[in-house]
Amino acid sequence: MTLTETRRHAPPAVVARGLTKVYGQGDARVHALRGVDVAFATGAFTAIMGPSGSGKSTLMHCLAGLDTATSGTVHIGDVELTGLGDRRLTLLRRERIGFVFQAFNLLPTLTAEQNIRLPLEIAGRRADQVLFDRVIRTVGLRDRLGHRPTELSGGQQQRVAVARALISKPQVIFADEPTGNLDSRSGAEVLSFLRSSVRELGQTIVMVTHDPMAASYADRVVFLHDGELVTELDAPTPQSVLDTLMRLEG
Amino acid sequence: MLKTAVAGLRAHRLRLLLTSLAITLGVGFIAGTFVLTDTLKAGFSQRITAEADKVAVAVLPRERDPARPGEQAPVLSASLLERLRALPGVTDARGLVRGQAPLLGKDGKAAGDMATSGISVASGPLNRTTIVSGTGPGSDDGAAVLDENTAKTHGFQVGDTITVLDQEKRAHQFKLVGLLDPGVDQELAYTGAVGFTTATAQRMTGEKGFREIDVAGADPARLKRAVAAAADPGAEVVTGAELAGRLARQAGVETEALTVGLLMFGLVAMMVAALVIYNTFNILVAQRTREMALLRCIGATRGQVFGSILIESAVVGVVSSVLGLLTGYGLGAVTMAVLRAYDAPLPTGASVTLSPATIVIGLTVGLVVTVGAALLPARTATRVAPVAALRAQAEEQTFRTGLLRALLAAAFLLAGLGAAGVGALVMDPGQASLFVVMAGGAVTFLGVLILGPVLVRPLSALVGWVPRKLFGVPGRLAVDNSGRNPRRAATTTVALTIGVTLMTLISVVTASTRVTVAAKLDEQFPVDYLLATQDRDSSIPRSVGESLRKRPELAKVVQIRDTTATSGDTPVLVGTFAGPLEPDVTAGSARALAAGQVAVAASVAADLGVRVGDSLPVRTKRAGTVSLKVVALLGDESPLPSLTVAEPEFDRYFGKLPDSQVLVNIKDGVPAGQARKVVDAATAAYPTLKVASSTEVRGEFDETLDMVLMIITGLLGLAILISLLGIANTLSLSVHERTRESALLRALGLTRPQLRRMLSVEALVLGLIGALVGVALGGVFGWAAVRAMIDGASFSVPGGQIALFVALSGLAGVLAAVLPARRAARASIVGSLAAT
Repeated sequence: MTLTETRRHAPPAVVARGLTKVYGQGDARVHALRGVDVAFATGAFTAIMGPSGSGKSTLMHCLAGLDTATSGTVHIGDVELTGLGDRRLTLLRRERIGFVFQAFNLLPTLTAEQNIRLPLEIAGRRADQVLFDRVIRTVGLRDRLGHRPTELSGGQQQRVAVARALISKPQVIFADEPTGNLDSRSGAEVLSFLRSSVRELGQTIVMVTHDPMAASYADRVVFLHDGELVTELDAPTPQSVLDTLMRLEG
Repeated sequence: MLKTAVAGLRAHRLRLLLTSLAITLGVGFIAGTFVLTDTLKAGFSQRITAEADKVAVAVLPRERDPARPGEQAPVLSASLLERLRALPGVTDARGLVRGQAPLLGKDGKAAGDMATSGISVASGPLNRTTIVSGTGPGSDDGAAVLDENTAKTHGFQVGDTITVLDQEKRAHQFKLVGLLDPGVDQELAYTGAVGFTTATAQRMTGEKGFREIDVAGADPARLKRAVAAAADPGAEVVTGAELAGRLARQAGVETEALTVGLLMFGLVAMMVAALVIYNTFNILVAQRTREMALLRCIGATRGQVFGSILIESAVVGVVSSVLGLLTGYGLGAVTMAVLRAYDAPLPTGASVTLSPATIVIGLTVGLVVTVGAALLPARTATRVAPVAALRAQAEEQTFRTGLLRALLAAAFLLAGLGAAGVGALVMDPGQASLFVVMAGGAVTFLGVLILGPVLVRPLSALVGWVPRKLFGVPGRLAVDNSGRNPRRAATTTVALTIGVTLMTLISVVTASTRVTVAAKLDEQFPVDYLLATQDRDSSIPRSVGESLRKRPELAKVVQIRDTTATSGDTPVLVGTFAGPLEPDVTAGSARALAAGQVAVAASVAADLGVRVGDSLPVRTKRAGTVSLKVVALLGDESPLPSLTVAEPEFDRYFGKLPDSQVLVNIKDGVPAGQARKVVDAATAAYPTLKVASSTEVRGEFDETLDMVLMIITGLLGLAILISLLGIANTLSLSVHERTRESALLRALGLTRPQLRRMLSVEALVLGLIGALVGVALGGVFGWAAVRAMIDGASFSVPGGQIALFVALSGLAGVLAAVLPARRAARASIVGSLAAT
């Protein structure tokens, strides 16, 4: 059995059941999620897609414990998020989750290396030096480690953010439009890097995007529309993703 | 533009509230000072007017002749009183008697350090004494009244019998029939007063004449002319109104001093408030760069942008000044209530009022300081380029040490420290040198202010060393954040530095004074007990010292006698001593003074212009003018009189006078309590003879110093409080700026308590930086001030107190961070991440 096949049989990294999220009250009620059931396989790169307002960011926030769902359950590995207090949620994020945001990923006062090591230090863990070297090599940041974020390009900043997410070996990395602010070349670099971390390090990644090109880097794409999971696509290409989107919106 | 300014105010009302609080406190203190002193002044004049209204014309003796310093205070004669009574139009005339009439306490010893003043209390319409309980003595020669404070201190109540000594030290008993209020008479408030009928007052004090004659009658102006014609030449005749004016002026001088003293602290508070406002507006402008740029894009001129910031500051200034005036009124009222509750010897009768002058001053100061502090930030706002509106994010302010800044700071520091050095080391101690040191301090402070942003990073690394190790990631992030915007951090901490500098300076000065005075006391007072009468006159029977000398408990007894004589035209104190005393000789030799020889105190020798070897003519009582040869000069700390001669010679010149001082040393190993009993027993028969022990003298002195330190620290507390508002303000503005950063940290696994701790540590570091700079400045200038004030001063650093200031500053910083930290920790991660 190949590495990938082993992972296929492992339990999913993230599972959501009957997830709903309602904002506001009375007439102003907005149903951002209307009972989403979804599982994200361990060691896979999954993209969440959907038109604006489809609830993809809300879904990610609820999955990552940044926001609490109105009803339904979320499991990260064997831990159920629902009902956890802020402290437990924070510790869970610290131990099991990595983040890559669209912008403002790095602390301006810290150097690239300090930013990368930050989650480990917050958790009071020592960095795995072998992993660190490997991550740095893969990301190609060796000569930029001492620079502060303002001295790095947008693509470099996102690569630092990905390296930071990888370094603590989280159960899952959530990436929220990681290429949203990048030109297409830098974006492609970051995406290949995300994909290679899945292939080579066995990392589980869930990425929210509205860009079919970005989604095509994933192993699987799930489509969200009006707060509901409508369809999914294995081994996507930019064209198949675009077609599905067109169908959804049309 | 007015609309945008108002909208800006509304949008930032919370932050501006903290700023206004700074101004409100400052203006409140200043207004409170005026309310308090105005009320006191009104109280004084109410009293004075009430007293002086009873008098048509008052006759005062001529002033003491400055050319004849030794003479008794001039008085008015009894015959003048008779003459005035006989004048047509005079309905009544009373002479006021004042002299010494030592009251004995319940222990049989004279009460207080000074002999109680015996005064006459007139009956009838010319009675100017305020009786607050019981009655006046009326015409009862066996009745007496006491001032409230003395009665309270010594536990006398109306109806008790009190004992008062007359001039011959004979005890007389009186029935205490009432209590009087000394009113605005500071002399009576100081010595304490016992009032009798005029005849008794004259008998007890031995005063034959009057200090003042009050005349009642109609038409004061006409009466004044008639009285002036009848009065002795040189005597001064004034109407009641003129007398009131004179008394009011004297009282006014005192309240003026209080006003000036308190205003100094108000000034410090306003200075700190100005820094806080400057910082707040600076940060607000920085945060609104895009807003300003947008205004410029849509056509606002630089002038309009400038104006909108100034309008904002003016509104803040006016609102907070008005609140400040109300606070001041409250402060004044509370202080008056406290003074009343503690029976302070001040008139507390007048109602508390906010005078128009106070309102004008308060509003002006508040407005000028606020708008003035906002000028520079407003100018910064005009420099925003319209294109900045299009940029995604406001850049972080970067800071580089410019050459100009370095040169300017160096110049100020050199000038300031140089001046302080000259004042402390080169100039003679005195007012001038103190002034030079203080000016140096102000200049140095400006230098530190300019250099501040440069100092922040190294200092935050220094004070952040421990928090870095102690608080893990939050600690490290906090220390980095504290030095992140050096200009802002510097202004924030300088506000605290002002308060801490002054506190440290005061505590160094008091500690050094304490040490210096203790050392001087040891020199001056190298004895365990000093026996002297209340008047420090030469009236201790020689038998007291002689009997003490025989006691085995005592090691040394020195008897000192002295009397006034003249050398040429200069009055001098001539004396001698008996017993084992080693005079502190600065020149020549005083061992075994022979006939015709004299040892002179160095300062007196300088005044008289004599040196060792010269001869000095002294007019004596019994031996005529004798010529004495100066054989030694004595140090000024010596307990000996200014001219010291051999004992037999003194007897020959002046007769066998009683002692004026007896110095007593306890034998080693004898407990102080036992020795004290011996000394007390020997002096029990002489009520006015007081025993001072060196430990008591030092204790009283220490208490006074502690009190002064406490009051000043309390008043400076206001400046500290305002600077804390500044820290809270800066921090909450920074928290606002770093909303997304905090959210990112939370997403990465920083818990809420860790985030709160991070901000607390940042505030702690800011507080400690401010305190550290303050302690350094306060220490240096405290040293310089002590050197400049006191000759041969010792320098002492009250380490405990200063450590306490530093710890409290850090703690205060942490307290200031509580609210901003709570807000930061509560923010939702998702919401904050989305915020731009």
